[in-house]
Amino acid sequence: METATNDPPQTSLAPAHVPEPPAGARPIPPEPFWRVPITWFRALTIERRVLASFGLVFVGILVISAVSYRNTRILIVNSGLDTRSHELVQLLANIDVAMNDAEDSHRRYLVTGETSYLEAYKKLVEQKPTFIKYLEDLTQGSLEQQQRVVELDRTMDRQLRAEAEAIAQLNEHGREAVMQLAIEGAAKQERGATHRIIAELELYERQALRRRVMESAAGTTSTIILLGVGALLQLVLLASVYYLIRHDITERRRVAAELQRRGELLEAANKELEAFSYSVSHDLRAPLRHIDGYASLLRKAVGKSLGEKPARYVQTISESAKQMGQLIDDLLVFSRMGRQEMLLTTVNLDQLVKSIISDLRLDLQGRRISWRIDTLPEVPGDPVMLRQVFMNLIANAVKFTSTRPIAKIEIGVDRPSAGEVVIFVRDNGVGFDMQYAAKLFGVFQRLHRADEFEGTGIGLANVRRIVHRHNGRTWAEGIPDKGATFYVALPARRSRS
Amino acid sequence: MTTAKPILLAEDNPRDAELALAAMEEQHIADKVVLCHDGAEVLDYLYCRGQYKSRLKGNPAVVFLDLKMPKVNGLEVLRTIKGDTNLRPIPVVMLTSSREERDLAESYSLGANAYVVKPVEFHLFLSAVKELGTFWGMINEPPPEGACCGS
Repeated sequence: METATNDPPQTSLAPAHVPEPPAGARPIPPEPFWRVPITWFRALTIERRVLASFGLVFVGILVISAVSYRNTRILIVNSGLDTRSHELVQLLANIDVAMNDAEDSHRRYLVTGETSYLEAYKKLVEQKPTFIKYLEDLTQGSLEQQQRVVELDRTMDRQLRAEAEAIAQLNEHGREAVMQLAIEGAAKQERGATHRIIAELELYERQALRRRVMESAAGTTSTIILLGVGALLQLVLLASVYYLIRHDITERRRVAAELQRRGELLEAANKELEAFSYSVSHDLRAPLRHIDGYASLLRKAVGKSLGEKPARYVQTISESAKQMGQLIDDLLVFSRMGRQEMLLTTVNLDQLVKSIISDLRLDLQGRRISWRIDTLPEVPGDPVMLRQVFMNLIANAVKFTSTRPIAKIEIGVDRPSAGEVVIFVRDNGVGFDMQYAAKLFGVFQRLHRADEFEGTGIGLANVRRIVHRHNGRTWAEGIPDKGATFYVALPARRSRS
Repeated sequence: MTTAKPILLAEDNPRDAELALAAMEEQHIADKVVLCHDGAEVLDYLYCRGQYKSRLKGNPAVVFLDLKMPKVNGLEVLRTIKGDTNLRPIPVVMLTSSREERDLAESYSLGANAYVVKPVEFHLFLSAVKELGTFWGMINEPPPEGACCGS
């Protein structure tokens, strides 16, 4: 499907890489201008690519719509103008006919004196203002045509006036006086002029009509071409968007499948680890029990006759076995803390800390400790696990202040915030060098010699593991021989782990 | 107070068995201990079959069961005992190296009467076995004999 999908899965969700120029090409040649948008596009994330493509589609639709609207508007306006032009041509023909009729019948009247022949003339006189008004309306927007209408109005007036004069002459001087006029026509010249103007008007209108027809046809053709090409472009764009999304989904599916596979592997590894620690719990402890047991039996069997040195050897065998037993127990607890189901409830840290201190009573005998304990909040979490956390931290504080005449241990809330609760346990004990701070929370990491302070070095590893399982953080600050502060930050709201 | 009933100890590891017996010796109850080396042997004893065909009738005062044993493991033995009306009254104490939660949970849900984790330190192991022996073998009054095996 894709030709350039050699990217590792994690980067394929990030912006795709710009193809690199061949190695060795020292002065990077300027990019050809047509490659600039391609380079730009390839540098975008999938979301932006899709957005850019849809933007183009949108702009395309806008352009097509605007142009089509404009062309259609022109068509509509032109068809309105066409109708007007046809009306005008029709009207001009009517006026021409009416004027011919008027002139004809007027001549007949002059010849015969028959008044009924004057009807057409009278009608024209009556209709003329209407005709002119109508013409003015229909030629609105064309100055040239309106000037012709004014001229037509004037020549028509002249024709009618000439005819009126002829009628007056007939009434005054009798038929002989107008005989010559009757034969030639009273307004022959004017009639010719009006006929010419009407012809001009008509010609002009017909030309305009033809022009508009051509314009409309061209508009329609361009609209059709635009629609066709536009639709094709939109299709291409949409197809590429589809391809982009589809490619992205395929990629995401692949990554999801990979993640699932890794998750399954991890689960299998976890199961194996569980089986391993179970067998450690059973099988590794038995020989240790035997070592200590038989050493004790040996001591008892030999009794007082055992020399001082051999007695110490046997004692060391026993102690080493016990120590290893302790290490195994601690390791098992640590392993259990990692896989044990978490029971999420609300834990009252105040009560928790009080009960821990009361449990430590035996260790506190003979010690002078000044406690300063703030009111502690409630947090969501596993009560047993969190008890382990604070038990370890408080027991550590007690242990590492054992060299102080008066130990000071402070437990409080640091920087109250909405998102998380930060609890600290501070002591004035032997402290530690900050350069070893990273090692503090490691399994079996100890910053003190075994003969200084006892312990296997698992406590803080457990603290960190439990806090991490609560989606929290833990860190420590210390100054050698001045004291140490351990911080535990837990989410204030419940979150699934 | 002292009952004549035997104490059944199921332990496949001879060293563990020796250490346990050494502890019971100090309490002078070692002679009452019957040692079985696997789960099958425990069941043979309880049902008076195999090598225990001709043993004296009667249930033991208590059974100390190791969890991990060859052939039939501790939990299976426990399930058989607590599923049998005649054997159910016998107190069963799980004596094991495992502190695993699921072992604890399963043992108790099957009806174990006690669960003791063998301490690594011998003096603790010694005192645990002594106390167990004293309590179950001497202090505790075993259930009255109901129907005996074979009946």
